Amino acid sequence: MIRPMKKSSIALLLAASLATLPACNGLFEGLYDQPAPTEENGFGFIRVDSSTRSGTIYIDATSYTVWNYIDFRTSTVVALGTDADEPAAWDFAVHRYDAKTNGGSVLDTALSDFEPLRNAEQLPDGDYVEDIWTTEQITVDMSHMMDGYLIYVPSFYNPVLSQWLDVDTSTMPPIYTPSKRIYVIRLSDGLHAAVRLSGYTDTAGIKGYMTIDYLYPLEH
Amino acid sequence: MQQPFRIILSGALLLCAFSAAAQRIVTGKVTDTGGAPLIGAAVSVQGTSLGTTADADGNYTLRLPDKASVLTASFVGYLSVSRSAKEGERIDFRLEEDIIGMEQIVVTGTRTPRLLKDAPIVTRVLTADDIRKADATHIGDLLQQELPGIEFSYAMNQQVSLNMQGFGGNSVLFLVDGERLAGETLDNIDYSRLNMDNVERVEIVKGAASSLYGSNAVGGVVNLISKRQNERWTASLNARYGAHNEQRYGGSAGFKVGKVANTASLQHTRADAIDLKSDGDYGTIYGNRTWNFKDRLTVSVNDKLEFSARAGYFFRERDASEAAKDRYRDFSGGLSGRYAIDRSNELELYYSFDQYDKSDYIVRSKSDVRDYSNVQHIVRGLYNRTFAERHTLTVGGDFMRDYLMSYQFADNGARHQYTADAFAQFDWNPTLKFNMVAGVRFDHFSEADVSHLSPKLGLMYKIGNCSLRGSYSGGFRAPTLKEMYMNFYMGNIFMIYGNESLKAETSHNLSLSAEYIRGRYSMTVTGFYNLVGNRITTAWNKQLNGMQYVNIADMQVAGAEANLAARYPCGIGVRLSYVYTFEHIGKGQPLTSSTRPHTATMRVDYGRDWKNYGFNIALNGRFLSRVSTDEYTSAASYEETQRVTYPGYTIWKLTLSQRIARGIELTAAVDNLFDYVPSYYFSNSPTTTGIAFSIGMSVNIDRFFR
Repeated sequence: MIRPMKKSSIALLLAASLATLPACNGLFEGLYDQPAPTEENGFGFIRVDSSTRSGTIYIDATSYTVWNYIDFRTSTVVALGTDADEPAAWDFAVHRYDAKTNGGSVLDTALSDFEPLRNAEQLPDGDYVEDIWTTEQITVDMSHMMDGYLIYVPSFYNPVLSQWLDVDTSTMPPIYTPSKRIYVIRLSDGLHAAVRLSGYTDTAGIKGYMTIDYLYPLEH
Repeated sequence: MQQPFRIILSGALLLCAFSAAAQRIVTGKVTDTGGAPLIGAAVSVQGTSLGTTADADGNYTLRLPDKASVLTASFVGYLSVSRSAKEGERIDFRLEEDIIGMEQIVVTGTRTPRLLKDAPIVTRVLTADDIRKADATHIGDLLQQELPGIEFSYAMNQQVSLNMQGFGGNSVLFLVDGERLAGETLDNIDYSRLNMDNVERVEIVKGAASSLYGSNAVGGVVNLISKRQNERWTASLNARYGAHNEQRYGGSAGFKVGKVANTASLQHTRADAIDLKSDGDYGTIYGNRTWNFKDRLTVSVNDKLEFSARAGYFFRERDASEAAKDRYRDFSGGLSGRYAIDRSNELELYYSFDQYDKSDYIVRSKSDVRDYSNVQHIVRGLYNRTFAERHTLTVGGDFMRDYLMSYQFADNGARHQYTADAFAQFDWNPTLKFNMVAGVRFDHFSEADVSHLSPKLGLMYKIGNCSLRGSYSGGFRAPTLKEMYMNFYMGNIFMIYGNESLKAETSHNLSLSAEYIRGRYSMTVTGFYNLVGNRITTAWNKQLNGMQYVNIADMQVAGAEANLAARYPCGIGVRLSYVYTFEHIGKGQPLTSSTRPHTATMRVDYGRDWKNYGFNIALNGRFLSRVSTDEYTSAASYEETQRVTYPGYTIWKLTLSQRIARGIELTAAVDNLFDYVPSYYFSNSPTTTGIAFSIGMSVNIDRFFR
């Protein structure tokens, strides 16, 4: 026998429980961030500070068939197809996580901070490595991977600068390990730039969006 | 009053009087096997409310109704015994001690409470004591340590993948108090959600069980049963520290005041990344941390009516890379009502909610971006009717809304579907020795447009100390939203496509077992055969130039299992379990077998208990044989194969548990006692780096006040 008071407490319990019945498609959406669409963040030289000769470049390197050509002198980034001619003026270029220079050479400084370079009396010395010509590095078509082959285009490639991000494809999904190091590029005009890959995803975590911090020129 | 009715009433009263006059008195004695009286043992007449208890000499006297009667004598800690009462016979009962735990109640096999020794479907139970001795944090630890034929290994990206005697994660249905769980990664639920706090026992039913549980119960069901709050109040705290900075902290508190009882528990775990010692498919095991909260409120309005509400929150973070961490969250809740209409009729209603989310925490931008959410709402009705206190009819039905938003759908889209089912089962017990269970369930899935009928027939016959069981059961798994609508660019390398034309997976399971229980020994031998049709997997599609979900040709899984257990009064216990599994998948199918043929687990333990001190030392062993398999040399072609052998291994764990005073328990464990280190870490190698130590302490505060 249920007494009236018990009935009311049960009704209260049920009502309280029913009031919290969650929405059909779930709860707590507000826990999560809604990142701004990547394109709204803008690409190119997104920060240029002439007083410290530093800045940040943000590029969309998600496509296998695009090189992003970066020109420090004009602070511009030009995206061109892998089968297109190179632009008239550029310093280094990025395809996916591969990098090449425009007739330059690259030194791995093993530094992770720009500060020692900013105030250095002399340019860093060491083994500057020039680009190599390769026919088996710049992948433009991954669709045949399961058939056991990839399609490459012949291109120059800088093996030192490309170490800024190690992509281990022996496991799936691949393991991405950024070196966090600063690389100094000796440009073809004799000036030097220091670059560091500080990110390889957009704000939503999609890989292939490269954030590059730089110091240019190193000469002061 | 009308004349005919008077006559009927008078006749009925006369019959009652005659019946009372014809009642017989039966007497006897209830003793243990040594002849010592069991004072207070219950003696009852089956099918009636008649019963009495044995006096100080173990004697009882009971008035029986005229009709043929079956008497049951029971006493806590002893195996109950039933005997037919014959005219003029003195009925003495000699009860054997229930050393093996066969008086344990189980529910999973029939969805109604049955004593383990009487359960018509073979059920393996891991008790709270087993959980404590295994020193397990979550269900994966426990199952792997206690049961042979169970292997948790890594699928891609260090996602945990189950193989239970040839059946994968999506073919074994995991339940918590009978409720299914939302969310999956690479076909496996998040096992770390299922921690062992406040778990009373775990019931494992191997073989198909879709006639009661529907989709996914293709190869078995694992059901975690929560503890009920029976004490006025309880409170406990526990901590554990082990190798690789593995830490576990937990606490639980409960109360029962009048008609209201509540139990809450909170657990936190963390572990550092583990750098493995040899080369392998992976070099580092990701570090992780979890939070897990559970609460259950019960209001027992009266003897007949009970309401329950539950809520849970789970959080796991995995250090997948420096740039991003993988996050997994679950929000769950439920309401249920149980109404015992009378002694023979019971009605239960349930509502269950489960939401499993995955998100990426991007370290640089400090943003937590959700890319997966599975939300399930389930309502269920269950009605049980008992006939003659022996036979049970179970009728029920569920309705579910299943919503899935996923990064694996085009444009991170969302899909949902409805499922509805109805089931009925009759549990027939014509004699004490024979039992038959027959059931059938009909399921319909709206989006897959799949309807499926799952039958079951189980028979049990007891001869002396031996129980013989045989069953046929049907299983199925409907294609999931993921398998139907996936549109995912895998690792920026190839596409994986869903398939809207998939058929449901089906299974036919035959099982025969013999169980022998005598005193301190129990032995079970089981043979099983499964024919699995339309299994769903991904296969390379040349036209699409990508992977696509497909049904494959029939495959077979057969084998045998043996369990031996013994417990001696001196405190020594032994358990040995072995499984042989044979899996056959036809040549040219996109799936290859990697099920280890021989697996075994064993435990030897010795324990003693005094008033203020007790201890138990347990040695657990786990043996997995090597397995050789022909794997395809290309992921896009199913012609050329190469022989690959994965090494077998044995892992031993030594655990010393000590109880100090009433409520302090200290545990020290040495895992991987003989320092096994794989020479190469395959995805199915144990992730051990060698011998590992751990210590733990738990304080049951309430016990100091009793």
